[in-house]
Amino acid sequence: MSERKEPRDLDRREFLKLAAKGAGGMALVMFGGGLSLVSANAVSPSGSDRRGPFQYDPTKHRYIYLVDVSKCIGCGSCVRACERENDVPKHFFRTWIERYHVSRTGEIFVDSPNGGHDGFDPVTLGADVTKAFFVPKLCNHCKNTPCVQLCPVGASFISPEGLVLVDEKRCIGCSYCVQTCPYGSRFIHPETHTASKCTLCYHRLVRGETTACVQNCPTGARMLGDTHQVGDQVSEIIATTEVHLLKPELHTKPQCYYLNLTQEVR
Amino acid sequence: MEHTKHLWRAGILLLVLMAGGFVVRHFFVPESFGEMGYYRYSALFELMDREPRHGSPVACSECHDDIATAKAAGAHAVVQCEVCHGILSSHVKDDEKIADMFIDRSYRLCTRCHEQLRARPTGMVQVNLAEHLELEPGQKIPAEACIECHDRDSIHSP
Repeated sequence: MSERKEPRDLDRREFLKLAAKGAGGMALVMFGGGLSLVSANAVSPSGSDRRGPFQYDPTKHRYIYLVDVSKCIGCGSCVRACERENDVPKHFFRTWIERYHVSRTGEIFVDSPNGGHDGFDPVTLGADVTKAFFVPKLCNHCKNTPCVQLCPVGASFISPEGLVLVDEKRCIGCSYCVQTCPYGSRFIHPETHTASKCTLCYHRLVRGETTACVQNCPTGARMLGDTHQVGDQVSEIIATTEVHLLKPELHTKPQCYYLNLTQEVR
Repeated sequence: MEHTKHLWRAGILLLVLMAGGFVVRHFFVPESFGEMGYYRYSALFELMDREPRHGSPVACSECHDDIATAKAAGAHAVVQCEVCHGILSSHVKDDEKIADMFIDRSYRLCTRCHEQLRARPTGMVQVNLAEHLELEPGQKIPAEACIECHDRDSIHSP
């Protein structure tokens, strides 16, 4: 049996030398990798100007939405406009209207027949209704949204303007986001089988137009603002008036504000 | 330094693994991912590409100036043409008329806004249709009940 070599004891000097060499090598490899990443990312999407067409710079806008509940007449024009503008499939909604009836004893009746798409018919509730109103709803484009946090593939994201959007090509249709949205703003599109939601008519915003729902609201119950624009009316209202959020206790930080909202609305 | 070959082996293995990792990453991470955040930045530009369906608020008056002027003076000035008539892109393409505009003659078009509802703001002009039409109990509302009296001009500029 041959004599086994004893492992050599490294003295301190040798150990440090080796460690320095190893660390240097690692750093070199990391640096090289980092470089290749940086160069890969330097290419703008489709090789074009990063502002895209229409001379639109996503980093120069921050959209906010304001709904005045006291102005909504429940005509459903916004729901139909959204459907036509965005090819929303039948019986799915990117925006919808809820009708609230509240009785003297505090009972709350909510209905939204076909999302308010065809308007509302009179109802008899057999209760002493003391207040009633319509509440238009849509994606709140939350700053702290669970739907983006939950997406396992990075298909849901917050754009530089603060809009919560979906990358249809990335989405695998797992519907985690549909389940987690506290406002019910998302659905799985029956044809593409990907998550679908309000984009705040992004394709219109970049062309300098307002959203289809805001443009088609006959009473001005829906308003769109941009906090990055000087003298923006909606920002001014939000800054100076009592406005409310839906489910503020969830700390999702919605960017859709409500005027004249009562506490019955969830 | 007789055992340096162990270090070399470990080092080379590490390099191979890292190189493999970068190759896999190259194929699995899409272009522009991570440029502005944990998402594909190109998706933003794909969303921009969609063509708007609704026209701008003044688009209709380019051809229908007479109606637009009349409407602007009446109570329906706040109502966009497309609310009742449908989207411009189904009527006009590249400044050419491609199809007739949809005209909804049913009373349902009017009742969406004007039927008396408890939830509507009180300032809104509302009618109880059965009372307004003096219908007998059980009598059906005629399909074009409203426009029998309220003609085209009075609707455009009430």
